[in-house]
Amino acid sequence: MIKTLKANSIYRTIRKVVITGPIWAVLLGVFIIASVVTPDFLSLRNLTNILLQSSLNGMLAIGMTFLMINGYFDLSVGTAMGFCAVLTIGMQPYGLITAILAALVAGLAIGAINGLFVVKAKINAFVVTLAAFIGLRGLIFIYTGERSIVGQVDGFATFGMSEILGFPTLALLMLVFLVIAEFTLRKTGHGRNTYAIGGNAEAARNAGVPVERTTFINFMLCGLGAAIGGIFIASRMNAATPMLGWPDTNLKIIATVALGGTKLRGGFGSMIHTLGGLLTLAIISNSMDLLNVPSFYNRLSMGLILMLVVYIDAKFKPTAA
Amino acid sequence: MNRAVSKVIGIGKQQGLLVAFAVLILVFSLTAPGLFLTPKNITLVLRQIAIWGVIACGMTLVIVSGHWDLSVGSLTSLTTVVAITLHDKIGPIPAIIIALLVGLLSGMISGYLVGYQKLNSLIITLGMMGVLQAITLIYTGGKYSRIVEPEETWFSFIGRGFVWQIPFPVILLAAIGVVFTILLTRTVYGRRVRAVGGNPVASKFTGIRESFVVMSAFMLTGLLTGIGGVMLGSRMMAAQNYIGSGYEFQVITGVILGGTSLTGGEGNIFKSIIGIVIIGMLNNWFILMGMQYYYQWAAQWVIILAVVWIDVAGKRARAME
Amino acid sequence: MKKGMRNLFLLSVLLFVGMFAFAGGGGETKDDVITIGYAVFNVGIDSYETYHNENFIAECERQGVELIQLDAQGDIARQINQVENLMQKDPDVIVIWPVHGKAIVPVVKKAHDEGFKIVIANSPIDETGFDYITAYAGPDNTQEGRDAAEMMIEAFEKRGITGQKKVVELMGLPGYVTAIERSDGFQEVLAQHPDFTLLATEPTDWNREKATRAMEDLLVKYKDLQGVYVADDNLGIGALNALKEAGRAGEVIMTSACIFGEGYDAMKEGYIQGTCYQYSGLDAINTVKVAVKVAKGEEVDFLSTFESPKVTPDNMDDFKRPEY
Repeated sequence: MIKTLKANSIYRTIRKVVITGPIWAVLLGVFIIASVVTPDFLSLRNLTNILLQSSLNGMLAIGMTFLMINGYFDLSVGTAMGFCAVLTIGMQPYGLITAILAALVAGLAIGAINGLFVVKAKINAFVVTLAAFIGLRGLIFIYTGERSIVGQVDGFATFGMSEILGFPTLALLMLVFLVIAEFTLRKTGHGRNTYAIGGNAEAARNAGVPVERTTFINFMLCGLGAAIGGIFIASRMNAATPMLGWPDTNLKIIATVALGGTKLRGGFGSMIHTLGGLLTLAIISNSMDLLNVPSFYNRLSMGLILMLVVYIDAKFKPTAA
Repeated sequence: MNRAVSKVIGIGKQQGLLVAFAVLILVFSLTAPGLFLTPKNITLVLRQIAIWGVIACGMTLVIVSGHWDLSVGSLTSLTTVVAITLHDKIGPIPAIIIALLVGLLSGMISGYLVGYQKLNSLIITLGMMGVLQAITLIYTGGKYSRIVEPEETWFSFIGRGFVWQIPFPVILLAAIGVVFTILLTRTVYGRRVRAVGGNPVASKFTGIRESFVVMSAFMLTGLLTGIGGVMLGSRMMAAQNYIGSGYEFQVITGVILGGTSLTGGEGNIFKSIIGIVIIGMLNNWFILMGMQYYYQWAAQWVIILAVVWIDVAGKRARAME
Repeated sequence: MKKGMRNLFLLSVLLFVGMFAFAGGGGETKDDVITIGYAVFNVGIDSYETYHNENFIAECERQGVELIQLDAQGDIARQINQVENLMQKDPDVIVIWPVHGKAIVPVVKKAHDEGFKIVIANSPIDETGFDYITAYAGPDNTQEGRDAAEMMIEAFEKRGITGQKKVVELMGLPGYVTAIERSDGFQEVLAQHPDFTLLATEPTDWNREKATRAMEDLLVKYKDLQGVYVADDNLGIGALNALKEAGRAGEVIMTSACIFGEGYDAMKEGYIQGTCYQYSGLDAINTVKVAVKVAKGEEVDFLSTFESPKVTPDNMDDFKRPEY
């Protein structure tokens, strides 16, 4: 009797989790398959590599998650990241701190511009952020003059490649930001408002939620995520290349967040979900490299996996949150 | 006098896009005198954008039905490659037919997943984008393709031919534009597409086979992309694997500039094509002005926002009257 | 529901930690077969690279060398990840065809500091990285640019054209080192000849259609342009499409920095006046040979460049038409 009760509750737990966050089941599955199929997958080195490699996209995905729960998405994060990376390197003659601050301010400014046009001018987010995507690419080239620039501060690159207790510093930072972001979503008024607006903007407005201000802030948060991501990649390369962030980054980030379970229409999702999506894609990418899969097939399977996960996700509709 | 002015403003509000279009033409002609507004240059621009214009007819349908199709760029690459590689093997007409079928099939797959399985079109077509590009690479093994004896075939007429001084691609664009305008505005089918996009719930109640309507929009887009691929292949008489890369953004931007609402239900083929022409004119004007290409991108940011702002403001003013 | 979510999350965390705990050192045991870890720029971007890749693989087989190849598809961030993943596989030598010569330096340093030997292929790394690599094996892109300029100047002289000579340039992918070097080399030589004016430089992303469009627009803007320099023959054919339509093919002088099969044909027909024979097969074989030597610990030249001689209509019969 007790045995069946226990088995029942385990079953129910698993079922609940699969329904609310199928990405974790997928992640687990992927992890297990990768461990079995891929040589060298389970080494400490490799696993830390995976964390490190997802830290860049992770920052962008964190910012994007705020916005997507709010019901919008931002197509400019790719080149916004690139622009901030370029600033981080290019402003170094004025001091590293200044350079980093410049990048952060730029990210916030870009988010603010996007937010303004979406919220105030009521222009469609796709257009606004697409225009920014293209425009920022222009700014990057104007600033770098088509060449790439190299960083002056040696310590910066060392920082990018450094580790704390065997964990890549950048990965740790990303996780810290993730936790802060999740806290913001769950426990603050802003977070609650974000969910409300995404779920039903009109109802939220009627209930007194400051729709415009919240959305605007979320655009800025998205820009901030891109900025921090830019700082990360700049430290990995100690150089800034004009080609950064073009052309696929945005869609990859949206896909990461959506894969994690955050709905594109808004109102549902979380940082934890996003983390799940992030790690899943990172593991798949890593495994394919280790398996020496010819790149064309790599691309093919990424596309197929994306479609498959969307299919699975649609079939497990979340119960009313 | 006052009445004339307010009448003009009234028209301006009605046709925000056309006003913006006229303004741009004026500005471009004045700043590049003798270069921009010549028959030769205008025909050049029209021919350059013809392929995007053709695809935009289908994309308008898809967006009106409430969805996205991001796969058109990769699909263009694939159909172009198919048309070129098969031309020498089985002759131009079978090659064209197969290229069109490939487009149709791709549209059918996307359309089925979005229309019948109700999956999110953004992610599905994003996945298709990767899959189609991968198939192109796998099919060609990464190599170029070309038609060995370009003089010996009539195939080049499609992309390079002229009829009474007008480039054939432009004629194709005009013909397709007319057909699709009629389709969208005067047929029952068109009404259904708009109903599905505008108000999916209501349309369900009236028994419209929403799924088929959506799938057909994707199929038509796929077919049109196939036509675009044939046009492109004919123009180049050769094919590169990434040749269609980025097309989806150009086409969607054009359609949005044209005023098609991204929430679905409302759209205008003619205006979409005008939107595409604006983009083509922009590209052309920048080179005529001798500006560095990257200033172009930065300026596009401003111009796109300005054009859409005028259009949105005009719509709102109308709605308030 | 929250409880279930939390439980699974804890479970996953436990599993992760557990994996870390009993994850071992990893890494392969060294055996007698030499392994090359190859991080390549973008295999499918054009025929040169595809052909290069085929020859690379073939040469590895011929030499009995094992090859692990990862394709960054043009994404620098991805390439950095891939180099780290290659380190994980512990090859005898790492070959990198960099997406970006400067941005790759930190990870190259990282690999060097962990004892790996590195060979850079085809597209040079920035000078700051020279301390960390063993050799560069590839063409000298800057020299190609210079050669193309010289051939253009000679072609103008041959035709007896006097006065101020106006030319335009179609460059490759903006920000990419090969494109930049070929452009710089060309402009360097041209600057020494004040009777030549460079009217415009347009990027083409190595894409033939973009080259056609750019050329079309340039022809409208600069009705009296007399010459065009293209970063390679693929772009040259694209430009030729536009020139032919304008009826100016053959009249406008064209030189290129890198030969392709179709360019060879065009040169025979008198449309191209000069190009450089950078044969991708040779490039690949050279690189593999250098890499194998490095893996064995043998001496190699730091700059193991191979020659890409000038090709003009006068000497073109001495050269074989490339297959790609």
